[in-house]
Amino acid sequence: MKISSIGRRQFASFALSSPLHKLLAAAGLTLLAGVAPAQAQKISIWSGYPEMAPFYQRVADQLKAKNPSLQFSIEAIPLREHEKRVALALSSGSAGALVIEMAPPTANRYLSNNLLVKAPGNVAGFVTDTKNYAPFFIQGASSGGGVFGVPLFRGQGALFYNTDMFKAAGLSKPPATMEEFSTYAEKLTKRDASGKPTVSGWSMRLSGGGQGIAEKFWINMFQYSGNLLTQGADGKWRVTVANEAGRKTLKQYLVNVHKLKVVTPEMPADADAFERGQTAMFIRESWVIGDIAQKAPKLNYATAPLPRGTIGLPTNLYVSAKGAEADASWTFAMAANEPDNLIWLLKNVGWLPNRQNVDYSPVIKSNPGFSGFVNYPKDHAFFSLPSIDPIEEILTRVASKLTAAFPKAGLADDDKAIAALLVEIENEGNAILNREGLLGK
Amino acid sequence: MQRKKLIFAILALLPAMGIYFWVRLIPIGETLRLSLHQWNILSKNKPFVGLDNFRELFGDPLFLESLFNTTIIAFGVLLITIPSSLFIAYLVFQRTRSRFAGFYETTLFLPHVVSLVPAAMAWKWIFDARLGPLNAALGWFGIEPKAWLFDPVLSIFCIIFLCSWQMLGYAVLIYIIGFKNLPLSLLEAASLDGASKRQAFWYVSIPLLKPITLYVSVVTLVAGFNVYAQAFILASDSQGAPGRQVRTLVLDMLENSFRNYRVGYAASEAVVLMVIVLVLTLIQFRMLREKGKSL
Repeated sequence: MKISSIGRRQFASFALSSPLHKLLAAAGLTLLAGVAPAQAQKISIWSGYPEMAPFYQRVADQLKAKNPSLQFSIEAIPLREHEKRVALALSSGSAGALVIEMAPPTANRYLSNNLLVKAPGNVAGFVTDTKNYAPFFIQGASSGGGVFGVPLFRGQGALFYNTDMFKAAGLSKPPATMEEFSTYAEKLTKRDASGKPTVSGWSMRLSGGGQGIAEKFWINMFQYSGNLLTQGADGKWRVTVANEAGRKTLKQYLVNVHKLKVVTPEMPADADAFERGQTAMFIRESWVIGDIAQKAPKLNYATAPLPRGTIGLPTNLYVSAKGAEADASWTFAMAANEPDNLIWLLKNVGWLPNRQNVDYSPVIKSNPGFSGFVNYPKDHAFFSLPSIDPIEEILTRVASKLTAAFPKAGLADDDKAIAALLVEIENEGNAILNREGLLGK
Repeated sequence: MQRKKLIFAILALLPAMGIYFWVRLIPIGETLRLSLHQWNILSKNKPFVGLDNFRELFGDPLFLESLFNTTIIAFGVLLITIPSSLFIAYLVFQRTRSRFAGFYETTLFLPHVVSLVPAAMAWKWIFDARLGPLNAALGWFGIEPKAWLFDPVLSIFCIIFLCSWQMLGYAVLIYIIGFKNLPLSLLEAASLDGASKRQAFWYVSIPLLKPITLYVSVVTLVAGFNVYAQAFILASDSQGAPGRQVRTLVLDMLENSFRNYRVGYAASEAVVLMVIVLVLTLIQFRMLREKGKSL
């Protein structure tokens, strides 16, 4: 039978009549399928914050509407896993074109190993324009005189407090000193008949992501005028926790857990607990506002600046791609910074955008939750994580010691043991800095 | 003819041996090489540091803690799994002719084939200090609720329990096969000599099952030393988790590789783990050989 004389159905039936033909047909289809995407540019957007996925999807949809050949894959996973995949992907160069969301301290290693692409002139011009960004953010996106990232949002801490619980406890305003944090927490804690806390007065960070525990400890320590890491005149660093600020901070944790019993390590914690009414107050970044809007829209709460200052950790978009895909990736990073997208980000996700020449006031006015993040005193101080290679290792090691210390009831009354533990933490951190040639005098 | 057969055998084995060489031996060799270097995974520069990584390792409190925890878990799982699986296998073997025999075997083997992640998530809920059914059940007997996954000692027990639960099905299955292959003549002889079932089990079956026990012991110990997902899910550093209470060797390796960017150092940990596993395997071979000689 000549093929020319048979119908399409007969031909298909013939073609798929044997396993070999099926195999060849499948291979052919696979090849054809492989040809089609080759014409499109596929960009993966990697985020360490799952709540950012809708934002990136919005930006991707806008760009795809303008240029259908662009394909975006939004992959937002928890931060610690995100950091691991970035390490694997950039070191092996196997992940294709990427737009990667990273904080400058994390990006530092990749920049020093030339694994991230320098921004083209138009992007660099946009980023270095002080009308768009404050110098702090420009510096965070730059390295060695060049621009490598596009600033997007920042993590900034403030106090979240449940106004209903405050009212019930006879508290009319947020705590203004760290001492007040503890006295307030005592009043706010709800207990069962046996005296065990059922609602924590102050959800302190006692568990969870290793580095996060150290960052939260640093925020509290900052209120006592201390810093977990301090830069010396030689530009190098030292871990500086074995001091009055460190001792007061650790003691406050221990006293709250073991003496005042306003919180325990195993109690529900963080944003989830706050949204469910299982804690009266806690310190967190602004993304919680967006989270509350979605999960607990009826929750009555307010935010307030911390007594002395807080962390300001910028997050930038970096690119790992070549040629046309690199251009498309930078286009994505720039589109994410369009005013309407940044307003959408603030309104719907809650992270604070870094671009300054955008009018965010309608969102801020409509949601009083932002008050604690934008209405702070003029002398409100900020600190950030240093952009040094071993920052994550140091913070994880500090956190490891802290999580081991928090459950120890005996420590709460033992000032000598607290001091000794802090010296131990300091020595361990300084040994890491020394190993990396970064230990200051 | 023999030569042709030999060539055919070599050719037939080549693909499998090639794959084995590629996916097993090369990575092991590369790990050994990396353990003597300092490498941050990103740089092309890998300076040779000799045994420095190993020297640092044995002064590192986190590594020592990981090694201690992993050893406790591995031997804890062994101590629970071997006697309980032997006993359960004996009970199932006694009911081999029962119409429920297949059901017993399937039920016991199920935990071993269930995907680890959902299983560990379920156990995480069971161990939950506030909402977990374990504390609720203990409450009926007037026992105070425990913070199972927050207490450093209790959380180790939780992981041992989870690993044993998973390992049990496999061990029982291997023991059942062992029981089925026991020479009936010896058991009948013991019975004729007046031995009770208990005595036959203790003095005939258990000694005859020694090779099986050795095999199960080593497999269990090796699995115990490689414990990772159970500790990661029950007590890892993810948000809301107990936070680093149970640091195991594999977890520590991952953290050193991909969070601290110290691949050479992590490779030296892998070498230590490999040596431990190798020693345990050699012990097994030695004991089996001695057994062979004595027979």
